[in-house]
Amino acid sequence: MISVDKVTKRFKDKTVLHNVSFEAKKGEIIGFLGPNGAGKTTTMRLILGYLTPTSGTIKINGINPQEDRIKILSTIGYLPENNPLYPEMKVREYIQFIASLKKENNVDDIFSAVALDEVLNTKIEELSRGYKQRVGLAAALCGNPDILILDEPTSGLDPIEQEKIRDLIKKLSKNKTIIFSTHILSEIEEIADKVIIIHRGNKVFDGFKPKKKGTIATLFKRTVTDN
Amino acid sequence: MFTLFKKELDYYLNNAVGYIVVILFAVFANFLYVKDIFLNGSVSMKSFFGLIPWLFLIFIPAITMRAFSEEKRLNTIEVLLTLPVSEAKIVVAKFFTYITLVLLALILTLSLPVSFYYLAHIYLPEVVVGYAGSVLMGASFIAISMYFSTLTKNQIVSFLSSIFVLFILLGTSSDLLSSFLPKFVQDMLIYFGPLYHFQNFAKGIVDVRSLYYFISITVLFLFLTVVNLEKRD
Repeated sequence: MISVDKVTKRFKDKTVLHNVSFEAKKGEIIGFLGPNGAGKTTTMRLILGYLTPTSGTIKINGINPQEDRIKILSTIGYLPENNPLYPEMKVREYIQFIASLKKENNVDDIFSAVALDEVLNTKIEELSRGYKQRVGLAAALCGNPDILILDEPTSGLDPIEQEKIRDLIKKLSKNKTIIFSTHILSEIEEIADKVIIIHRGNKVFDGFKPKKKGTIATLFKRTVTDN
Repeated sequence: MFTLFKKELDYYLNNAVGYIVVILFAVFANFLYVKDIFLNGSVSMKSFFGLIPWLFLIFIPAITMRAFSEEKRLNTIEVLLTLPVSEAKIVVAKFFTYITLVLLALILTLSLPVSFYYLAHIYLPEVVVGYAGSVLMGASFIAISMYFSTLTKNQIVSFLSSIFVLFILLGTSSDLLSSFLPKFVQDMLIYFGPLYHFQNFAKGIVDVRSLYYFISITVLFLFLTVVNLEKRD
C-alpha cells in the first residue's frame, strides 16, 4: 500500500506540490490527471524516493522510501517521463541489464508479456516509439514489482500504439498497484479505478472513477477552471 | 555492481571511440618517448614516465567526460537512480570501468620496457613502480574528471573543465605555473600537485606520503561525486 500524507515539495522558492495526501491500495489502478507542470511527475518521483519531500511523509508498505530507498525500489517498477533508454544497447542487453540489477532471472516471460520477441536483437535507437515504450514497460516489469509507476506511458504515440499500451497496462494490472499519469481524459476512463486530479501542485479531486462516460472531462474542466 | 561495470565497459568495447582514444594514447606515448631515445643516448623509462601526466591530462577527461553528463543529457540517470542500486555502487562501477581502460592503455606501452629489459637489462622493479604510480595517478585523475562530469549535461564542458582543473593541479608542481608565484607559495603548493608525488614513483621510489596523496584525492573526489549524485532537488 502507498500512503502519501500532507506532502509538500518546494524547489528553492517555488512550491510545486502543496499538502497532497492520498492512498493507493493493492490491486488499484490510479490515474493522475493534470495539465503539464501540475506536479504529477514530482509526486511520482517523491514516491520513488528519487526526490525528498520538503514536508509530509510517504510510506510504501509501511516503509519510508527516504529511509530504505533500495528496499523500496526493489518493489517498484518505474517508467519515467519520455522513457529515457540507452540508444546504443540492444533490447535484450538492456532488459537483461535492468533484470540483473533487479535480481530477475526470467526475462523471457517479460519479453512475451510486452511482445518484444521480434526486436530482441535490435538496437534501441533503431526502434519505433511504440516499441521503445514497450522496452520501457518491460524494464519496469523486471523483478515482478508489486507497484508500477508509469509517467505518461502513452505520450507521443499514435492512437493505435496508445491503444496497445493501454491494453498492456490493463493486462499487467492483476495483483499490482499501478499509478500512471496522463493528460488524456479518455485514458483515465479506460484504465483507472481511481482518479486524482492535480492542478498547480494541489490535489483538486480524489475519488473513484465515475461510471458515466464524459463525467471526468466535465470534472476536470470544472476543477481546473475553479482553481 | 559487476552488472554496471560490465555495461559501462561494453559501451567502450563495442564502440570505435573507446578503441580510438586508447590506441591514440598508446601511439602518442610510444612515439613521443621513442623519438628522443637515441638523442638521450641511454635507456631509461624515466622520460617515458615524464610524459604520462601530460598524456593523462587529455586522455582521462576524454574517456570520463560522458560518465554522468551523458546520463544527465539522456535522463538515463533517472533510470539508474530509480533502480535498487546505491549511488556509491554506480560511481564505483564507473570508476573501475575507467581504471580498466587506463590499464588497457598502459598495457599497450609495455612493449617498450619488455624490449629494453631484453636488450639493455633495465632495472625492472623501477619500471614496475613507475607503472603502479601511473595507475595511482590515473585513478586520482579519473575521480576528479568523474566529479566534473556530474556538474553538467554537456560532455564538452565536462571535458574542458576537467582538463582545466587537472592542468592547474599539474601546474602547481611544475615550473609551468609556479615560476609566476613567490618562492614560499611555490614551496607550499608543490606538495599539493600530483606531479611532485608522481616523480617519486617515476624514479622507482615508493613514498608512502605520495601513495596516501593519490589514494586521498581519489577517495575524496569519488565521495564528492556520490554527494553530487545524491543532490537531486
